[in-house]
Amino acid sequence: MNRPTDPRSVVMNLPRRDALDKLTGRTRYTSDLGVGVLHAAIVRSTVASARILRMDFAPALAIKGVRAIAQASDAPGLFGIGIADHPLLNGTRIRFKGEPLAAIAADTLEIARAAAAAVIVETEPLPAVMTMAEALSPDAPTLHPDWKSYELLRDGGIRGGNVAWEARVIRGDTDAAFARPDVTIVEDCFQVGRQNQLPFEPRCAVASFEDGRYHIHTSTQVPWTVRAVTAKALGVSASRVRVTVPAVGGGFGLKFDCTIEPIAAVLAQKTGRTVSLVHSREEENLTCLCRENAELRIRSAVTAAGEIVGREATVLMDCGAYGGEQVFLTTMTAHTLGGNYKLGSVRLNSRAVYTNTPPNGAFRACNGVYNTFFLERHTDNIARAIGMHPLELRRRAVLGDGDIGATGQVFQGDVLRPMLDRMAVLIDRTKDHRDKADGRLYGRATTVGTWFIFVGPSSATVNLNADGSATLVTSGVEIGSGTMVQALPQIVAATLGLSPDEVIVKSADTDAAGRDLGVGGGRATVSIGAASKMAAERVRDQILDIAAEMLQAQPEDLILTKGRVEIAGRPGTGMAITTAIARAEALFGPVSGNGNFTAPGVNALPGCAAGHFIEAIDIPVFAVHDCEVAVDPDTGHVEVLSYKVVQDVGLALNPRAIHSQIQGGVVQGLGYALHERVTVGPDGALEQPGFEQYLVPLAGDVVPVEIDLYEGAPSIGPLGTKGAGEVPILNVGAAVACAVSRAVGRDVSELPLTPPTVLALIQGRTGRMDHPQISAIWQDNLLARAT
Amino acid sequence: MPIELTLNGESIALDIDPRTPLLDVLRDRHGLTGAKAVCREGFCGACTVHIDGQAVPSCLRPIGLLQGCNVVTVEGLTAPGTLNRVQQAFIDHDVVQCGMCFPGMVMTLTTFLDGTPNPNRDEVKSALVGNICRCTGYERIIDAVLSIRSEGVA
Repeated sequence: MNRPTDPRSVVMNLPRRDALDKLTGRTRYTSDLGVGVLHAAIVRSTVASARILRMDFAPALAIKGVRAIAQASDAPGLFGIGIADHPLLNGTRIRFKGEPLAAIAADTLEIARAAAAAVIVETEPLPAVMTMAEALSPDAPTLHPDWKSYELLRDGGIRGGNVAWEARVIRGDTDAAFARPDVTIVEDCFQVGRQNQLPFEPRCAVASFEDGRYHIHTSTQVPWTVRAVTAKALGVSASRVRVTVPAVGGGFGLKFDCTIEPIAAVLAQKTGRTVSLVHSREEENLTCLCRENAELRIRSAVTAAGEIVGREATVLMDCGAYGGEQVFLTTMTAHTLGGNYKLGSVRLNSRAVYTNTPPNGAFRACNGVYNTFFLERHTDNIARAIGMHPLELRRRAVLGDGDIGATGQVFQGDVLRPMLDRMAVLIDRTKDHRDKADGRLYGRATTVGTWFIFVGPSSATVNLNADGSATLVTSGVEIGSGTMVQALPQIVAATLGLSPDEVIVKSADTDAAGRDLGVGGGRATVSIGAASKMAAERVRDQILDIAAEMLQAQPEDLILTKGRVEIAGRPGTGMAITTAIARAEALFGPVSGNGNFTAPGVNALPGCAAGHFIEAIDIPVFAVHDCEVAVDPDTGHVEVLSYKVVQDVGLALNPRAIHSQIQGGVVQGLGYALHERVTVGPDGALEQPGFEQYLVPLAGDVVPVEIDLYEGAPSIGPLGTKGAGEVPILNVGAAVACAVSRAVGRDVSELPLTPPTVLALIQGRTGRMDHPQISAIWQDNLLARAT
Repeated sequence: MPIELTLNGESIALDIDPRTPLLDVLRDRHGLTGAKAVCREGFCGACTVHIDGQAVPSCLRPIGLLQGCNVVTVEGLTAPGTLNRVQQAFIDHDVVQCGMCFPGMVMTLTTFLDGTPNPNRDEVKSALVGNICRCTGYERIIDAVLSIRSEGVA
């Protein structure tokens, strides 16, 4: 039966069902569960690069109240993304300062910490590389001398020495494009530092060992990844690991990887007790899996009419001591730096580079954020070089219906161009804020951005209960984005003719729900939503068949609405849904339905991409941002005067909740653009251990974002939805940087734009950025040539 | 000598190290986890409670200095099953996200509105500088607070 769900029955400003407990302090996060359990502390390396000669645990074991020690031999398996290069606890070779070497469970946290401090670690120093330039120099020490022997978790990556992974795109004849007599060639270098996600709840886990199985209660976005990685690290079957997730106190991508959970599991197994492991704020900040620092050289050949006939770029992404997320993220350069615009020919090289620094990770829109900054600033420089207005260049060059992307993917529908039109309307509607600049330098910029929905497998079960309510069982988790408390109950309720508060949503339990890729990458509403919709439709069809028989009607003529089965167009003629459920139970038992979803797969041009995890994106998401700034010429302080967003959302299921996500995402982006700064010290340690050093936006720093939701762009998401929570941060760095650049009349080549950085720009003390570690000859940066 | 104080309306006596932060007393000894241990340095405001009617971070208050004080946490702010006007406005405006900072925000804004019943936007922003939120970008929280004011005026 093909029975479409009417989107109008789903769309609403549904309030959050979890708000009351959250506002009254009753919500129990993982970090609130540590009462009556053992507490654990991690023994960390105090140097960035060294061989471990000896570890002596005797002084720790002598402390009263110490219950168990976890060490490297307890977790022999290496894990990672793409490459298994990461040990849980390192017993041989230290690769970053703060690396976990062992962990101790004790009666109290104070005892555990004292015992951790008492462990004697004897090391022999090894040479270290703290920057990507050092790591790529010909005589650099190799962080992973055994890199060739590591298990490959995915084929196709080009690797070697300190290059963990290289992903390349080659489409068309770039050399010929650059040799054309009618082109202007524009070359730029850019760089960005790291950004700390800083969710309020740190990474933490409470583990127990029950009936021979590990049960990990944890603050994560990816319960199935935690299950798989724990199994791999501990060398046990994944079926012996159960992961459950309560409310998560923020993630932003930091919790899109497994980190400390297996350590708690080892200690639980050894002690037979429940063990709580919670990062202190300092531990959390100093080992934060940040958005990576990155460096870029980009060159474009552009005609006087603004046609980009050739583009080549090399991006260096610092993965820190282990490959992790950056190995995957090399893929995304093709779709972000290689996105937005029609390119006649293109070659891109995206390299994840090992350094003796804390590993980096995923952060909301990941490398898309800085690649968009790089690309949009470069686009402004192109506009200047060919004498065209930057907005006009964008109008002409953005991807439209039938245009091909960097990897040869064919894009569907005109989206970016009409979004630029909508932004023009939004700008016209409100006056500019030039008067607020009040003698300061004023700048404004409109930028475009391309991101994607990270689809992949999800599953769902809907149980229809005898009382007429439904229970949705998935592996989703509520990280604050509202998917579990708003979008999913909305979708299931509309399909079954219930109100959203009659849909119970079970939070992730890997023993109860099927596999799922996790909550992140804008995928939850799309992937879990699609699986949930299918499950609900299967339940609906069973109920309608039963009811049709009872009413002597055709199932096609029936609808579910307001807890009843009705003959369409004849309200009151049917029956309560509970009556049909009772009949179903009498005939064959309780009604339930399963649904599933996976990436349908979109084609790239064969042979264009090498080393990519995703060659073409299933659901592109576009964003247009506009920003006005005032820059104080005496101090270099940047004030954002206004901020506007036109965001491609497919169908806005809950417009009010999407507005919240956009306001929050833009403000995180403003922090990135202006003052969130992570630096690596000479010893390889991050230098911002707390809120005093790492400056996130405060209430007084922000402006209300003016928002226009662009609906109707093609999407395979349920009811045409796209994820809306990840993308709001995408082009904030770009918009602010372009606006500041125009305000001060200088090239902005790096973020964040702290007052000293901006003042140096204004005063002409900033030289033109160059990256000697990236050859101006594109081919010379390829691994095959380099080794 | 035990430290005696009032916690959510009940008299308690504590015979513990006087340097123990109030935050740890609340969470570890009384199971009051509404105050969140986020920065433990007084920057974030997530552990804000009321001490003698003032909203202050509990992480920086050694218990030994609280002899005779009246401490109210978010759990004791209202009668069970009821919400105050700040909490109700936050629900009505759907401003909660991950939720970790909200108990602290509620405590700060509750005393703020008691002292400043009709604030303007800038005054609300100033009141919130000690309460960091990583999810929401603040502005819609401020809209919710201002709705209380306008409702009060109307």
